[in-house]
Amino acid sequence: MKKDMLELCAWVIDQAKKAGANESRARLTRTRFVEIGYRERKPETITEATNQSLALQLFVDGRFSGQSTADLRKNALAEFVSGAVAATRLIAKDQYRSLPDPKYYQGQAAVDLRLMDTDYSRFSPEERHRLVKALENACLEAGGQAVISVEAGTRDSFSEQAAVASNGFQGYREMTDYTLFAEMTAKDEGDRRPAAYDVAVSRYVKSLPDAAVIGRSAAQRTLAMRGGKKLKTETLPIIIENRGVPRVLGGLISAMSGPNVQQKRSFLMDKKGQKIAGDILTIVDDPLIVGGLSSNLWDNEGMATRKRTFIEAGVLKDFYVDWYYSRKMACEPTIGGPTNLIIPPGKRSVEDIMKDLGRGILVTDFIGGNSNSTTGDFSVGIGGFLFENGKPTQTVAEMNIADNHLKFWTKLVEAANDTWKYGWLTPSLVFKDVVVSGV
Amino acid sequence: MMKKMTRRNFVQTGALAAGALGGVSLMPGAWLGLVANANGKGYFDSQFGVTDAICRKLLETALSKGGDFADLYFEHTISNYLGLEDGQVNRASGDIDLGVGIRTVKGDQVGYAFTQDLTEKSMLAAASVAATIADSTAVKCAPQFIAVKAGDYYPVRTLFTTVPVSTKLPVVQSVNDKIFAKSKLVTKVSCTFHDQQKRILVVTSDGHKGEDLLPRSFLYASAVGEKNGRKETAGWNFGGRRDFSYYTEELVDRLVGEVMGRLLVAFEAVQAPAGEMPVVLAPGVTGILLHEAIGHGMEADFNRKKTSTYCTMIGKKVAEPFVTIIDDGTNAKQMGAINFDDEGIPSEKTVLVDKGTLATYLHDRISANHYKIKPTGNGRRESYRFYPQPRMRNTYMLGGPATAEEVIKGAKKGIYVQDVANGQVKIGEGDFAFYVSSGRMIEEGKLGAPIKDMNIMGNGPKMLLNVSMVANDLKMAEGGAGACGKGGQAVPVSFGLPTILVNSMTVGGVKRQGA
Repeated sequence: MKKDMLELCAWVIDQAKKAGANESRARLTRTRFVEIGYRERKPETITEATNQSLALQLFVDGRFSGQSTADLRKNALAEFVSGAVAATRLIAKDQYRSLPDPKYYQGQAAVDLRLMDTDYSRFSPEERHRLVKALENACLEAGGQAVISVEAGTRDSFSEQAAVASNGFQGYREMTDYTLFAEMTAKDEGDRRPAAYDVAVSRYVKSLPDAAVIGRSAAQRTLAMRGGKKLKTETLPIIIENRGVPRVLGGLISAMSGPNVQQKRSFLMDKKGQKIAGDILTIVDDPLIVGGLSSNLWDNEGMATRKRTFIEAGVLKDFYVDWYYSRKMACEPTIGGPTNLIIPPGKRSVEDIMKDLGRGILVTDFIGGNSNSTTGDFSVGIGGFLFENGKPTQTVAEMNIADNHLKFWTKLVEAANDTWKYGWLTPSLVFKDVVVSGV
Repeated sequence: MMKKMTRRNFVQTGALAAGALGGVSLMPGAWLGLVANANGKGYFDSQFGVTDAICRKLLETALSKGGDFADLYFEHTISNYLGLEDGQVNRASGDIDLGVGIRTVKGDQVGYAFTQDLTEKSMLAAASVAATIADSTAVKCAPQFIAVKAGDYYPVRTLFTTVPVSTKLPVVQSVNDKIFAKSKLVTKVSCTFHDQQKRILVVTSDGHKGEDLLPRSFLYASAVGEKNGRKETAGWNFGGRRDFSYYTEELVDRLVGEVMGRLLVAFEAVQAPAGEMPVVLAPGVTGILLHEAIGHGMEADFNRKKTSTYCTMIGKKVAEPFVTIIDDGTNAKQMGAINFDDEGIPSEKTVLVDKGTLATYLHDRISANHYKIKPTGNGRRESYRFYPQPRMRNTYMLGGPATAEEVIKGAKKGIYVQDVANGQVKIGEGDFAFYVSSGRMIEEGKLGAPIKDMNIMGNGPKMLLNVSMVANDLKMAEGGAGACGKGGQAVPVSFGLPTILVNSMTVGGVKRQGA
């Protein structure tokens, strides 16, 4: 469908030009997906559909607007484009708006990212049901008598994206992804019914882990949550589990976004080049990982992507800046937001680190919370396990950590060797002297 | 995907949630009719040729392999956005959404498909996909469609699609100018206006049909200020299921007042305390407490699956007799108001806690059928891309016997919560949290220094038993940016609360008690 999609984008660009737009960019996305959920050993939900949307950015006499539509009938699209151009004329001029300088389209990495699974067309309904049954069965078996409910599911999708800009960019990509998911709810003391899940995502069906492993792990994670208690407020080391790191890291990343920096809503706005975290913290953005879940040769604006270091050994090197904010901030553009965000792993396992620390809290769960990007203050509820003599001794629930990012990241002392594969590529992180509040 | 599949239910009240709404009125004149055509045809019939005969054919295809029930959900939504940054309204966006979702239900099993192409061929293909959940013989659709009993809780006098950008623009611009005029401390202002009109048509195999036009809009502003090297920000929004007539100069002045009041007080804020203590909630948006602590747990899907902490508590005493909690789809112009739900069930007022006793879960058709009771009109969905689930509408507590002053005095020493930005609940444990963007210390029964940016946690059933005082000043939230997330679907909701005292919750500040 590559040809059809590119042709439609080019047609829309042409319509925009005829309606009076000086420049424009069109992006057409089409995703075919299937989702299957099981409960009590039968399908609970089966969803299958194709979702399409056309996004159009218009630059008209120094004015800008962004439009999108799911109604792709040609006559409706023609009216959509001319109406959009007319509406754009009504707002104020903005000297910083333009398509990127075409030089930024050049230099795409010479790498095949292999975002598309060559086995996708052979992935059958029978195979989907087999995987969900395996997830559910393993979770039910491992959960045993403690099971109240198990929900298991798969989702797979095939997406295509075509983009054309009036100043010379043209791109097309196709990608697949597969998700395995299981969640269990367990019996516990009184009316408490803890739930936990496990998940795996891959671009290729062959690279998915064994469904039974994910199902079993969902059960084990749930069983471990039983007996959760709130402890006394205490200052102690904490380890944030790999998959949970983004919940706290997100507050730091948000303060590195171009709009927040330019709009003075960032506690990092004047910290570029300065040390803002412990030596352990390095943040790399690598859109060029083969088969990566956020890999891309070109970004949303068509600019060629590359690997960049945003924080190096605790020093803030750069912000996430798209083309527009790079013009406002008079700096080079980087990329509008994280792709495959990486914190390099350390050498030791979480178990070894726990042994070394003796006593602390392993944080595996978060609740509520938020972060103020202007001041850096954050506060978030946590759950997990108290460990003593290196071993988990008590499940912890309904406790809280609160700090300021500029202080918190200086407490980072170690990264474990267990990089999470299914989102931001973060290992478990160890922080010293954190106040964990409870009773 | 993770969000979609996990049970981490959450809510947001601020501009963060604004992503759900898009941006500029673009539809050509023929699409702008306020009411259905004079010939009695509905909107989807006159604009897209969706006749009763086609609906029947689709429903019969959806039931071609059996099943208890099937429904169609047509949607045509137009969203607009105007944004001001660095002094000028220099960005706009718009989104047009169009499609139909087709569902086949067999017991608690759901087959679902949608298409954005409203041709008969494409819709029939989607209906055939939905049908695959069942595996027996074909079932008939009702011979006629009777109109759903619909309320009129958000009458639209003027469609947003007929309000020119040139009319909206000065409103947004004036917010900026008025904020800068208020204080020399202000360094940046951003302001956005969002509007949306959503038309839906629900047709069910048991012979019901309803069409509705749901407006939704809000005006949001935030300001950044600097004082003695300290930088703070504050934001606020007004909105709801309202048309453009709501956005008067008086409302702009109120918005500016709310933003500036919060910004100036932020410079005086002291470190929030940490630990368990009495918490007083101010009236209004703090009703998020109920949304998280009890509302989600009362959604009947979690109870029929026995995954909610409330699943064994119906008929039991859960709070003092002065506590009555309601989920209501009929509050005029509130974000969660619906004339009927997304399964064609009339909207209603549903009592969750009746004078301290747990009364009713919130039902969709599947759960009502499971419990053999009447659905409560809580079957809602984000769009045609999703099948409906039991969802809240406007959740609030009725006023009690005390006054606000008495409640604050009753707390003696603790904290007073004014603004809540977001919240989350774990259905099974009943543990919940909400994020306080501004509040005050309470010392010796009186309001003290301002505090901000703290997470507050509790356990739903325990918290309800701990509600020890309720004042007579129920207030509903007035924002329009709020959205509740569940199963990957965001739907607009609202909340309300009178001033109440909860004897103990965990406050996640940084200052340890006694330190």
